[in-house]
Amino acid sequence: MESFERFNGRRSGEGKTVAILSHGFGTDQTAWNALRPWFEARFDVISFDLAGCGPQGAQTYDFERHGSLFGYADDLIDILDELDVRECTYIGHSMSGMIGAAAAVARPDLFERLVIIGASPRYLDDDGYTGGFRPQDLDQLFDSMRANYQAWIAGFAPMVVGVEDSAVVADFSNTLFQMRPDIALNTSRTIFTSDLRSLAARVSRPVHLIQTAHDVAVPVAVGHWLANAIEGATLDVIDASGHLPHMTAPDDVMRILEQRLAGTAL
Amino acid sequence: MTTSDSDALAALCQFARLASHADLVMAVEVDAGGRATWAVAAPALPSSSFNLARSGLFEHTWSGEAVEATGFRLPSAIIHALEGLPTHLLYVPAPSHAAPLSGLLLLWRSAPAPATLTAQVPLLATSVARLLSARREAARGAIVRNQFLDLFESVPAGIVLIDGDGVGAAVNEHAAELLGCAAGNHRAADVAGPMRALRQRCDNHADLALAYSAQMNNDQFAAKQNWTLGERTFEVDTHPVRGNGAHGRIWLFTDVTADLLMAAELRRLASSDPLTGVPNRRHFEESSAQIIAAREANGRAVAVLMVDVDHFKKINDTYGHPVGDEVLKVVARRCRDALRGRDLFARFGGEEFIALLAASTVDEIPAAAERLRSAVAAEPILVDGERIAVSVSVGGAIGEALPGGDRKLLEALISRADEALYEAKTSGRNRVRMAALQPDLVVP
Repeated sequence: MESFERFNGRRSGEGKTVAILSHGFGTDQTAWNALRPWFEARFDVISFDLAGCGPQGAQTYDFERHGSLFGYADDLIDILDELDVRECTYIGHSMSGMIGAAAAVARPDLFERLVIIGASPRYLDDDGYTGGFRPQDLDQLFDSMRANYQAWIAGFAPMVVGVEDSAVVADFSNTLFQMRPDIALNTSRTIFTSDLRSLAARVSRPVHLIQTAHDVAVPVAVGHWLANAIEGATLDVIDASGHLPHMTAPDDVMRILEQRLAGTAL
Repeated sequence: MTTSDSDALAALCQFARLASHADLVMAVEVDAGGRATWAVAAPALPSSSFNLARSGLFEHTWSGEAVEATGFRLPSAIIHALEGLPTHLLYVPAPSHAAPLSGLLLLWRSAPAPATLTAQVPLLATSVARLLSARREAARGAIVRNQFLDLFESVPAGIVLIDGDGVGAAVNEHAAELLGCAAGNHRAADVAGPMRALRQRCDNHADLALAYSAQMNNDQFAAKQNWTLGERTFEVDTHPVRGNGAHGRIWLFTDVTADLLMAAELRRLASSDPLTGVPNRRHFEESSAQIIAAREANGRAVAVLMVDVDHFKKINDTYGHPVGDEVLKVVARRCRDALRGRDLFARFGGEEFIALLAASTVDEIPAAAERLRSAVAAEPILVDGERIAVSVSVGGAIGEALPGGDRKLLEALISRADEALYEAKTSGRNRVRMAALQPDLVVP
């Protein structure tokens, strides 16, 4: 139980099948508040705060281990093993998308299926690949985070939320503020410089990809790339803006989940 | 060094991989807690920071044979590098320095063929352990070197560090500025010149040359000398590195100018009378001992003059204490001016002053006392528009400085000068009285 507690784990719900809710960069497990009731009605829901995130973020983050997304994947597997979860439906947003994919490649037995929202295996453009970012974009991002973290949040939060939703902007800003700035910077470096494209083809479990049509962090092209690379993956593009559809467009996400997860839960 | 050891480990992994037909071979440094602190693999790992504590690798007793991978929990980074799930694995423990769980990990994606050289792989354990230890030591050395360099440039002192072999020398920025050479690494021989030149520019170069020449061939010597360069003084500390000249020699140049000025000012404040600015009684007693001791060498005469302002109480009562203070200042200045530079003059207490005169002949003393008296009485003292007539009475005593008798002599002279002063007072003031020469104080 030690990892589950350390990562501020929370378990609730009526269902028998386990659903893991894993949040993305800059949020914590409260990001699932809008969708959680839907899951609780159908699943045995387990959520937690990623290393570096949530109120205990500074205690759970290890600059070495979490310098790569594989460290987070190991955390996820530790939690599942500790709770003796043999099989789960995994829902991961943003960085948790590829974390789930890495964990599912290492331990396919643990994952019945994965729902991946707004994820990207590589943020930098490459030959024949549109990640959406150029190296100078990332340098600028890291520089402004380092120069004044609070000021950076003020600009970053509304841009990532992508829609006029002051409540979500406030929630997202609050969880960003909650992160220790050096951890936030290191985490964003880990994410934005990652290249896990080679992982995609090795995911052997069913994957449902969801993203919006206009996401500053993840161009639609990335969704198509992943859907192509992961055998049998489905892609649902919500005709809306923003990187946090589970917060800004929960009804759209629920509609997709109803369809994609039909029959998986009792 | 780090590169070559890690390169050797990478090559060793590659070799083990060919020999065993394994799909992944990694050399991993693992601390007692199961935490991987460094790793190299063929093919390469996406991350080498993972924890193997719950992998099951360390609970198994390895006999040099690959076993089925079921039941082992391997970090996701390793599975990623393996490009698939392992069916078999082998761990060859290779405990290395500060990393007792280190070893060589071999993974197969399908059952290994029996005809391979897998059985030979455990023979590599010693080499792996040795290379891991060497790599760690070199990495640690690099950290220590960086910390040293930071410290070397952060301290306010100039530092010259001569290597143990006497060939190389490192000079920090502060020392470079002082020596007029570039900071960084030099041949020791090239630093010796600027250091010698600096020493020869010192005001006290002769003393320094003497102090250091005695240690020319002693590589263990330690010394602290002040090098005076005009208005600046550097405390130069040289000593063998960690007490052993074979480790090298360090020269530390610390600018102590401000400290010395501060100390001198404190000494001056402690030894002078705050009202009149002349030395106080404590300073008189310390300095007189030195003067008498100097006279002892050739048996010359010394004299004490006790000087007391006449009717001082009346001046205070009439004009008030602030005016009395001004009068004391003027009296002190007139007396001081009337004496020779080498004479010691101090405020002894209240309106009483004392002088210690070194004289070549006994006859000089009464004349000097008279000069002093007349200098005060010559004209009235002007304070706040008041013209105040002031005079002093002077009692003197002469003695001969004899070896070993300084303390006793001073006490005797003060006591007899006091008596003579009393006589001067009772016989009308504004006059000089000398105590009669006494055979026990003056050798005829």
